[in-house]
Amino acid sequence: MTVRMGFVIITSRCIDCDACMVACRSENDVPLGHTRNWVKSSGVQGQFPKVSEVFQPGNCMHCDNPPCVSVCPTGASQKRSDGIVIVEDKKCIGCKYCLTACPYDARFSNSETGKADKCTLCLHRLEQGLEPACVQTCLGKSRLAGDLNDPSSVVSMLIAQYPTRILLKEVGTGPNIYYIDEAVPDIPDGK
Amino acid sequence: MSKVYTWDQLFSRRQFIKGSVAAAALGAAAGIGLLRPESNLGQGISDQAAVKGTKLVTTICEQCVWRCGVIARVEDGVVKMLEGNPDHPNNLGRLCPRGNAGIETLYSPDRIKFPLIRAGARGSGLWRRASWDEALSYTAEQMKKIKDKYGAKAMMFNSTDNLSQPFFEILLKAYGTPNYGTQRSLCFNSMTTGFLYTYGTPQPGTDFSKCKYMIFTGRNLAEGISNSETQEMIEMVARGVKVVVLDPRFSKTASKATEWLPVRPGTDSAFFLAMINVIIKEKLYNKVFVNQYTQGFEDLLTEVKDYTPEWAEKKCEIPATTIRRIALDFASAAPAAIAHPNWRTSNFVNSFQTERAIAVLNALIGNWAQPGGLIPDQDLSTLKLGVLSHPAFPIAQGIRLDGVPWQYPMVPLAYGVIQTMRDNILTGKPYEAKGWLISRQNPVLSIPERQKTINALMKLDFVAVIDIQASDTAYYADVILPESYYLERFDGLIPIKNKIFIRQPVVEPLYDTKSSLMIYKELADKLGLGEFLPFKDEKDLLAQQLKPFAVDLEELQRVGHYEMQDFKEDHSKDFEFQTSSGKIEISSGIMAQMGKKAVPTWNEPPRPEKDHYYLLTGKTAQHTQMFTQNNRWLLEVFPENRAWLHTSVAAKIGVKMNDDVVLESEVGKVSIKAYVTEGIRPDCIFMVGGFGHVSKGLKAAYGLGASDSALHKTITDPISGGSALSETFVTVSKA
Amino acid sequence: MELTWGLMIVIYLFTAGLSAGAMITSNLAFLYGGQEFERVSRWGAYLSPFPISLGLGVLVLDLGSPFNFYQLFLTLELSSPMSYGSWIILFFTMLSFVYLYLWLPETYQKIGQTQQLKRWKKHLTKLMPFLSIAVASYTGLLLNAAVRPIWNAPLLPILFLVSALSTGVAAVILISNLSPWKRARHKELHVLTKADAGLIILECLIILIMIVMGRLSSASESIAFNSLLVGNYAWVFWLLIVGLGLIIPLFMELMELKGKIPVKWVWPVTISSSFLVLFGGFFVRYVITYAGQTNSWF
Repeated sequence: MTVRMGFVIITSRCIDCDACMVACRSENDVPLGHTRNWVKSSGVQGQFPKVSEVFQPGNCMHCDNPPCVSVCPTGASQKRSDGIVIVEDKKCIGCKYCLTACPYDARFSNSETGKADKCTLCLHRLEQGLEPACVQTCLGKSRLAGDLNDPSSVVSMLIAQYPTRILLKEVGTGPNIYYIDEAVPDIPDGK
Repeated sequence: MSKVYTWDQLFSRRQFIKGSVAAAALGAAAGIGLLRPESNLGQGISDQAAVKGTKLVTTICEQCVWRCGVIARVEDGVVKMLEGNPDHPNNLGRLCPRGNAGIETLYSPDRIKFPLIRAGARGSGLWRRASWDEALSYTAEQMKKIKDKYGAKAMMFNSTDNLSQPFFEILLKAYGTPNYGTQRSLCFNSMTTGFLYTYGTPQPGTDFSKCKYMIFTGRNLAEGISNSETQEMIEMVARGVKVVVLDPRFSKTASKATEWLPVRPGTDSAFFLAMINVIIKEKLYNKVFVNQYTQGFEDLLTEVKDYTPEWAEKKCEIPATTIRRIALDFASAAPAAIAHPNWRTSNFVNSFQTERAIAVLNALIGNWAQPGGLIPDQDLSTLKLGVLSHPAFPIAQGIRLDGVPWQYPMVPLAYGVIQTMRDNILTGKPYEAKGWLISRQNPVLSIPERQKTINALMKLDFVAVIDIQASDTAYYADVILPESYYLERFDGLIPIKNKIFIRQPVVEPLYDTKSSLMIYKELADKLGLGEFLPFKDEKDLLAQQLKPFAVDLEELQRVGHYEMQDFKEDHSKDFEFQTSSGKIEISSGIMAQMGKKAVPTWNEPPRPEKDHYYLLTGKTAQHTQMFTQNNRWLLEVFPENRAWLHTSVAAKIGVKMNDDVVLESEVGKVSIKAYVTEGIRPDCIFMVGGFGHVSKGLKAAYGLGASDSALHKTITDPISGGSALSETFVTVSKA
Repeated sequence: MELTWGLMIVIYLFTAGLSAGAMITSNLAFLYGGQEFERVSRWGAYLSPFPISLGLGVLVLDLGSPFNFYQLFLTLELSSPMSYGSWIILFFTMLSFVYLYLWLPETYQKIGQTQQLKRWKKHLTKLMPFLSIAVASYTGLLLNAAVRPIWNAPLLPILFLVSALSTGVAAVILISNLSPWKRARHKELHVLTKADAGLIILECLIILIMIVMGRLSSASESIAFNSLLVGNYAWVFWLLIVGLGLIIPLFMELMELKGKIPVKWVWPVTISSSFLVLFGGFFVRYVITYAGQTNSWF
């Protein structure tokens, strides 16, 4: 079976510390003023004192039907066979079409290279058998990454066990970040 | 006469860019311009850029005081990535945002790159470059002059919690001054003294892993991150454990909790006294434990008789039914239930009583040394490092400027009361202070009433600061002795249970800086006190610390830690309480001696008048106290502090999100952006501390946000010495 | 999100449409009007290559990697409007210069035989309308493909096409009226004005339908369209587009067509109305480019 890399993000385990954002900046030399990943807040909902707040980490969803790839005029934006969406810098002309096409706003124009920039799922780390930087550092084990097609991966095991949701389903991009909002007491031991 | 520099000239971006080009020209691979250190004002950088290849170095983080294990990846001489060390119990392989951001400060253009001696009026921002020899000689001369003329006591030594602190303490004891300042009275004096006078230990641990019911009243682990404890908290929440958070503000911890109770500030003790009342009335306390290990239960019975939930509701504004329910649930989860000792509770004069009530509540349910309860002091089960042999210290002459113990008899000497030290510099009572040596501390921004602290600095004859960057306090110094960054230096070893960990240089110092170990040592030499710090260099010192163990320094450096095999935890003294009675003191012997009420009691806290608000202060996960605001990676995730206003307050004064507002207290006034939210009591205004820097040497942070220290009044709890920060009330208006 | 495509892209979208519109005006005038409409054809041909060249120049400047520009022409990505659009625009621009050459007075035609050139002119006149329609609607398809609220409106290519034609006609009116040489005749102007008025009415209809469809669509789109009607962009939409760009020039053109404008006022009114059409056309691109980005999905 082919590999399909993606994330499971457990919002109930996120405390919005933003360690993932700093780790990504460090690992991937992300220039100031931009970020490849984020933690969004619902804001304080409700009325005092009955209030709630939810934190939702995110980054490139490595979609099944990535609009950023289909609009790319030079073939610089690509979906790899393992599902990871990347930008081949050599081919990128910096037209920013992909930035406008991404409904998750997951891309930015790198001010130093002039190219489209985005989460690579830390491809260079995966190749060394390491977890993506954001996953590795996450204090709450809220961010998890793995092969969604492999039933023994931690992500597949969690998806099998808990209800999940994806973002902007109606746009039809087929995003590969699966969100779990329920409490997850144990993170399974998976690949 | 050497050249006089301003901050702008010392650390201009232009030079920085030039440096980055030069470094790039050296051919160092990977990394971006941002990370390139400037080379024209520093030394030795070119040698390092030439080191090819990737290496991993194990060390200890110093972005806060938690001391997490770090594995640094160094590529071609440039630190590329910091990752958590999975073998380290303080962080289990993970780093918080601050830990991840260490690299930015290492390569920051705002680092102090060589010793500086003031070249204009104090605080003018004019400096000249000095050699280490000159800077240390000058410092020693000034210190000697003060000692000869006014006695050692006229010199104050300040430091904060860090791995080299024991050696700083040796220096000050050798010098012979009684005046030692820490930051503790601004932090958790009420907690440590409250528990010290109840259990005989200042800071018991908490077993999150088996806990079934947790009450937090001042431990905001999602925003005041203590790495491993924060992880444990998240796991506990994920397990579905009942977590109750008392906080006037809807903190991120509160957002994770099962129940948020927006308590009226300063009234937490009413809540706990009522819980005690219910637990006693319903006979839910652990009778066996109380009989065997505590003293003074009878006195407590009388004291809490009237502290009913209905009474408490009027004080703390938490419904009586809620208090009763929580008391019953808490007791039924015993002993796997904890009322967390917290870090600091509500920052009121009565916080000592609150902590005492919390300590006693825990004792009543007998959670001491039980799974899911409080964990006794681990000191016995921790490896003991080798110590330096040095001559006996001279006996310090004179009483302490900070009023310990003559004004604050119950405050331990090691904690001190720094805000009183500052006040007494100004009053000149009981005697005039003349000099201040400050290592890694920033009293200008930490002590209430910032202007007073600046005035105090201006009054002194001599101020020397040891720091990595131009903190607000360094800004007003006469000499800045630049310390190497934690990624460039050794520090004292750190034992944790049966393991010993090492902080070691990940790269050689980029600039003409030294470890604080060597700064203390060389300063001692210049003062003629060298024999008190008898080591040649850092490695020599660490080798002496390692002497009792079957490991050499090289091995420790390579592996990153040493683990003692067959080490048994010693629990024999778990129930030997180091109090005057040897028992858990529900009724405190010392308090009784002092003629004060010996059992936890209710002290009515002050309330703001009409149109005044409680000013609350706290932490954010992205910064450490007043220390990391200049880190641009952290500014990306937390750019400035804002004043939290309840929606109704914002509507009343006509401000919207991010509008500027003016907060004014009796002692100061600041302008700050508004954060409008439903997540705060309408009678409170909250701001994160640590912003509003006055040092122009902190280029990235200067001008961002506002400092709570400009607003805080100086109010001190006479028992614990704790600074009652939240007894400052402010007005708010549209800017 | 922050603004990714700014004024440069607006200029590009506008100028591409303008060139395509001017080209079509020239082509149709030549095909159906013959000698009587010779001036319109000529001015259309003279005008057409330049706005789009300016737009392309601006576009390249907007690229993050301008020197990598050639990568566009090493491939054809059929899923990417920008890819096939670039090829179309490349051909259009090159051919528009050829077309211009073919319309030059004979003394300037240094290359080629007169007869051959005339034949070429006929062929090209039949080909260019198709390329022009492609260019004009491509600008809409470009935004269509980036699935954002407003941008994904199915009528957007049609709107941009109609607006392109309208601005093209207006530009030809403007330039052929301003020129001291080969100035358009009354009959030519009358037909052009009639055409432009028709296009404006059509444009109004399309905008109306787009808004109604958008408002009936998902919440995200409804909110996005609201930003045009009552939100941040309302003043641009109502004042600059609907008022100055559509209603006023339409009114002026209708008055002109009915002959209600005193003779001495005809010239300034014609100039002003055609200028306002261009002005409105620019802000149509502006408002859609900007509002599509400041609104996103939720």
